Amino acid sequence: MKILCQVGVIFGVCWVSQILESLLPFAFPASVIGMLVLLLLLITRVLRVEHIQEKSDFLLANMAFFFLPAGVSILNYLEELRSAALALVVICLVTTVLVFAATAFSIRLTLRLMGRGKRHG
Amino acid sequence: MAEWTASPFFGVALSILAFWAAGKLQKRTGLVLCNPLLVSILLVIAVLTALKIPYENYSQGGDLINLFLAPATACLAVAIYSRIQILKENWLPILVGCTVGSAVSMGSVWALCRLFRLEEALAVSLVPKSVTTPIAVSVAEAHGGIPSITVVAVLITGVCGSVTAPLLIRLFRVKDPVTAGLAIGACSHALGTSKALELGETEGAMSGLAIGVCGLITVIFSMFLL
Repeated sequence: MKILCQVGVIFGVCWVSQILESLLPFAFPASVIGMLVLLLLLITRVLRVEHIQEKSDFLLANMAFFFLPAGVSILNYLEELRSAALALVVICLVTTVLVFAATAFSIRLTLRLMGRGKRHG
Repeated sequence: MAEWTASPFFGVALSILAFWAAGKLQKRTGLVLCNPLLVSILLVIAVLTALKIPYENYSQGGDLINLFLAPATACLAVAIYSRIQILKENWLPILVGCTVGSAVSMGSVWALCRLFRLEEALAVSLVPKSVTTPIAVSVAEAHGGIPSITVVAVLITGVCGSVTAPLLIRLFRVKDPVTAGLAIGACSHALGTSKALELGETEGAMSGLAIGVCGLITVIFSMFLL
């Protein structure tokens, strides 16, 4: 019964966020709305982590599995991919290095500026 | 085989079996390249192709599993909430780092797609690929991308990130654990985070936070860009 209620809460949040998505005038993914709604419920303590602990542990721990069918559906796009496979791998590798460098340098700069602010203040 | 496999139970059972076997393989080999999701996708494709099972039969069960994607994404909220204290203490570097990281990611992917003259739908599928799969897929779907290509691109990125993370830390001389964790999370989401956790607790926690924050920022950017 406990788990059943937890499923009810989480699926309920997802249903409400689908409605919210259809009402929004711009494209904002329903699942991310669900995440924000759930975060809001937790921060305002309407909901406590204990209320959804087991179900959310189950979903988070098996996250990768839920993407398996989505990955398998690549079968239907093999034609499009054949010509772009090499480009795809190059893009993934190059941008990973770029993003790491950009994030690291911007944080280093922020921390340095914050440190300077503290010393003067 | 076609009539025997036309049941939702077939797809679900095959998926779980493949994922279980792939998990075993990863434990045995300990290789990042043997990522369970990547291997299980290949296993299912191999079975379907070898036994000439129509994709539609598999997707009867696959659709059931897809149903859990939105709830699983929503539960990322629980992961963020449990780290809310660190978020409050380091909000400025987290916000700056994730904003710059997400912008560079989306911008550089877009530019490279142009350079390689990829089709529009393919480019849209790749732009959100540095964030966690559920958010990347939602972004791609909302803007006319192909979800399965996003899933594969996110996976390749994650594997790249977690393999190269220790090397990148040395190359860019990152000594601060907060910076290292955020940079790993920003470029390679959950797969990178598992590597960051090996480097240290602070690295792991920051990397985990970067997943959520970069995801949100990417959603917001995509509304203006795509």
